[in-house]
Parts: sequence; structure tokens; C-alpha cells
Amino acid sequence: MKTEVHKRPRYGGPPRLFPAVTRSYFRGWSEVEGREEISKLLKARATSGNLGRRVAALLRLSLLGRTAMLKCGMSGSQVKVFGKAIQALSRISDELWLDPSEKGLALRSVNSCRSAYGCVLFSPVFFQHYQWSASVDMNNGTKSNLNCKLGIKSILPIFRCLNSLERNVEMCKIFTRSDKCKVVIQLFCRHGIKKTHNVCFQESQPLQVIFEKDTCSNTLMIQPRVLAEAIVLFTSSQEEVTLAVTPLEVCIKSSTEESMDLNSSVYSEMFVGPHEFEFFQIGVDTEITFCCKELKGMLIFSEATHAPITMHFDFPGKPMALSIDHMLLEANFVLATLADEPSRASSPQSLCLSQKRKRSDLPCSNSKVGKKDSKAMESISRKVAPRKLYADEILSNISALENSGSPIMKRVNSDTEEEPGSPSLRKCKAKKNLMEVMPKSYFCISDIEHLPPLSKKPGFGVE
Amino acid sequence: MEGVSEDNNAIYVELAAENLSRALKTAQNARALKVKLTNKHFPCLTVSIELVSVSSSSRMVTHDIPVKVIPRKLWRNLQEPTVPDSDVSIYLPVLKTMKSVVEKMKNISNQLIIEANLNGDLNLKIESELVCVTTHFKDLGNPPSTSENESEDRSPEQMAEVQVDIRKFLQFLAGQQVNPTRGVCKIVSHKMVHFDLLHEDVSLQYFIPALS
Repeated sequence: MKTEVHKRPRYGGPPRLFPAVTRSYFRGWSEVEGREEISKLLKARATSGNLGRRVAALLRLSLLGRTAMLKCGMSGSQVKVFGKAIQALSRISDELWLDPSEKGLALRSVNSCRSAYGCVLFSPVFFQHYQWSASVDMNNGTKSNLNCKLGIKSILPIFRCLNSLERNVEMCKIFTRSDKCKVVIQLFCRHGIKKTHNVCFQESQPLQVIFEKDTCSNTLMIQPRVLAEAIVLFTSSQEEVTLAVTPLEVCIKSSTEESMDLNSSVYSEMFVGPHEFEFFQIGVDTEITFCCKELKGMLIFSEATHAPITMHFDFPGKPMALSIDHMLLEANFVLATLADEPSRASSPQSLCLSQKRKRSDLPCSNSKVGKKDSKAMESISRKVAPRKLYADEILSNISALENSGSPIMKRVNSDTEEEPGSPSLRKCKAKKNLMEVMPKSYFCISDIEHLPPLSKKPGFGVE
Repeated sequence: MEGVSEDNNAIYVELAAENLSRALKTAQNARALKVKLTNKHFPCLTVSIELVSVSSSSRMVTHDIPVKVIPRKLWRNLQEPTVPDSDVSIYLPVLKTMKSVVEKMKNISNQLIIEANLNGDLNLKIESELVCVTTHFKDLGNPPSTSENESEDRSPEQMAEVQVDIRKFLQFLAGQQVNPTRGVCKIVSHKMVHFDLLHEDVSLQYFIPALS
């Protein structure tokens, strides 16, 4: 396409830009037809004058179409909620994914033994301004989101002292691009103070859990205050809490699994009547045991949003979901629950296996998983054999593991040796891996882009 | 309650204080509280709390605190010790005031001198290389003396003093959540200080030995 080039533009320059550029610019970020022409022109003319500068700016903008980008801003009170979300997610794991999409900005976190997952989705309306874009690969037109994984330790201190942040911060801006390796968080405070934090991120595809909340037979909605009172009963040394429900009452009690052996811990229980719940639907009498730590994290967050918490759960072994549904945001924490296992006591070897098995991190059945670079997946790469298992039926894994014999045993045992006393080992040991027990149709962890096609209507977090 | 036997109508149990205090923390707004000694696989102190909830219906909370029952032959070791007669006894000022004073003093020195006389004066002194700080409390009043030591040999102005570890004193003050109806401080010169706090139905005694 031919365009006229003026050697010396008039003062003020021509109001219209190069036709080629204009046309393509309005077509969208990723399609700039005249780009090559522009770059040629630029080279030829260096960046002389107004025109050159404008074109250079446009070229930069067009190049942005190649990179995924996030830009959002929020006010002081919104920063408090955002900070609380990060604090809640910090209880799950040491890493956090920043995942913008047209639905809003999602913060995701999965713990290392895959027994807990948290996601807080802030809708675009939550922010003062929200802009994002996915990058488009020019060659095949595939879109990819911003794959940004941050360490919690680097981002948590920025959102410390939330009460004072709420008072002092007038505006908080978050900006990142996938070609830069950092997230820039700027806090514009009172008295003209501006704090800029540059946090490096790792390229990593976010993991996502798809959980069908609507298919759970038990749903309870309760104000966070009541749950907080219950949780206070449990000491931090007792990590697990059992929730026993019948249509008449709900009982929150300390897990009796471990306290039977050590008689030095207090056993507590609290009964809550149905009328204290905002929504009470119990389809099946059940007792589920899960970790207290993530519940505490969720409680902190829900108190900040003043919204009730909804618990969705079923039978022991099936993960439970804690969710908050609010106009401006949606939070979901999916926790693994302890399963009743009749096969546990059958033989020492199977006991050992089953206990260790609960701790094993198993990737999802998606065969593309292996390709993804993800630090969270490092621990998985050590245990390659189980992946074969998941190509088959997940529910029959007990016998399959026992049959596969020593290779898995060895590998798993070596893991135990590596971390004899680590808290995550102790925690995960009693936990059913989120991946394990559920048939694929109920529940699946997957990378966002390569979702297995689910015929059901979406649960949460499905785009 | 029924003790071990008719003659020894008492039960001695040992437990971790932290467990009990945490269990009782949930009973802040309790309507009723019951404490029972039970045996659920191992001896427990069962604390049943009836909480008042928002919708004015009650919620039951139960804590089973593991305890160890102490056999009778060891009861001798746990008897209340005999205490020497005090030289001076004096009523305590408001505990909160004392606590804020002593907390600041803690940063200067580890040793606190408590002295009092029969005229209602109580002094708290600390000394360091650079500074000497004394806080005077006056007109506190003295309880009627019960021992002979006090009234006969002493002039009202004469101070009885004892030097104690400031952190232990602070521990005592920090533990007081409720203001007692009456608090008495009894000093045995250079040996010990004895605090006797009287609430409505409860009395709490605290002994701090002197630093040698």
C-alpha cells in the first residue's frame, strides 16, 4: 500500500496518521497490516519530527498486541479487600498466579500437595479501571493469557497493615506485561507519597480446579462470625477439623484421628442449630474432615467482604468447596477431605502405601501437563509412574497402586525420607489428594487453556 | 463432688494450664458452664459451655481436656507451704496503674525493690548505673495486723523492703484481668513478698521469693 510521506510536516502535523496505520489500529491490537511499512518508514526517517514520534508510539502500541498485559487500578478500600484476598491465599501456598481475563482478575493458588486450591476472582467492576489483553501468536493466531506466577513472600509485605493502607492509599495501580518480567505495583498515598514495588514473576500457566458446586448434596450458608467462633475452639496444633451434619444439627469438632493416639490434646466440639444458617440444605448425613488452616484464611477474607460463606460438600473423600459470592468478586476455596478407607487396615504395606499415596502429587489426566513449565509441578516430575494410572479410572487406583508395586513405593518412600518432619508432609499425609478420589466428571485440576471438554454446565472458574 | 474417700475428700489433677485457659476463652459470653471429671479413653476434664448465640438460642460447646490424676501418696508434695509472718502488710493500689509503671521500669533494670510501711506508703524502686527511679504510692491503708511482729517492734515510718525479679512481678500483674475487690501485699523483709487478692468468692495468693 502506497502512502504519502512528507519530508517536513507542518507545525502541528497532519491530523490524520498514515492511512495504513489508522486502519489497522482500529482493527485491533493484534492485527497491524501496515506494520512492516511503518518499520521501514521509521528506519528510513529515523524518528524525525512529530510524525515520526507518533508513528513510533503507534508501533509500540501495536507491538503490545504481541504481549499479554494487565493494567488495573483501585482505591484505598478496595486495596484492603485485595490485600485480604492475598492474605487468605497465602495460607494455601507460597505462590500465587495473577490471571486476568475478560471476567476479571483472578488470583489463584494451589498448595504443594494438591490438597487445597484457592481462587479469588475480582470482576472488572471492582476496580476503578481495568484493562487486560491476551497475547496473540502471529503465526497461528492462538491466544495466550498472561502467565504470571508470584511468590507470596514478595507480594504479601506490600499489602501489610491493611488498615493503615485503607486510610492512606488513594490509588493503587497494578501493571504488568508478559514481555517484562515484573509486576509493577504503585501505591499513591496521601501527602504526595508514591510507593513503587517491582515484583518479579515467573512464567507459569495457572492451574485451575473445576468443581461442580451444584451437584453437591449438602449446602450450608453461614455468616463468618459463627464459623470464626467455632474455629477459635481449635488450637493451631490441631490441624484438622471434622464437620458432621445431620438434618437436625451441625457439629464442628476436632478430628479424632490423631488425638486417639496422643492424649495430650484437647478434644472440642460445638453444635450449631439449623436456624443459625442462612441456607441449610442437607441431603445426606455425613462427616467430613478437612484442614483448618485454609478455613481460617477464608474466614479472614469473608469478614473483610462482609459476605456469608457457603460450604458445598458431599461424602468424605470428595473435596469440599467454600465460596463467597459477592457482586464484585467471587472467591472459591476447594479443600480435600479425608476419606474413609476400609482397605487401610488390611495390611501394613497397603497402609503405608495408602498413607503415602494421599500425599503424592499426581498430575491431571491431561497429557499436555508435562509440557507446561510450572514450579508447582516440579514435585510431580519425580513421580512419573502414577500418571499412567490416571489414564485409567481414577477410582480404582487403590488396587492399581498396590499392583504396581515397588517402583512407586520406592519413589514415594524417598520423598518421605527427604522431608521427614516438614509440616506439609504431616498435613498432606492425612489428606485425600484432590486429584485422586474423584472421577473426572466431578472434579479435575487442569491448566486453564487446555481444558478437557466438560459436557456439564460450568461450576466455577471455567471460562 | 466426691473425693477419693471420706477422709480425703479431695481430688488432685494435673493438667496443662494452656488447654484450660483456651477452652475457657470460648466461654466469654456463656450462659452456663459445667466442669466434670470424666473418663473418655483417658481421664478428662470436660467443660460444657452453653453459649448464647445471635438468634437467642443456645449453642453447646464441649471441651475434653486430658488430665492426669495424682495419686494420694503424692498429695503431701502439693500442700500449701507454711509462710513466715509478714513484717508489713498494706493494701495495694489500682493494679492497672502499678502495671503500667512496672512495665516501663522493666526496660531499665531487672531487679525491683518493693518497700512498704505501716503508714500506708508503698514504693517501687529500680536502680541502674545511670538512673534511679522510685514511684511512691501514698495513703493506701494497712489492714489490721494479725501478727505480733508488725505492731510491736515497728515504727510506722520504718520501711520493710524486698528485692524481687521484675519479670515475675510483671507476670503477676499481667495475669490480672479483673480488678480485685481488695488486694493485700505482705512483705517479709528481704525474704519474700506475698500478694493476696480477694475477689467476691475467690482469693488468689501469689508468692514471690526475694532475689539473693
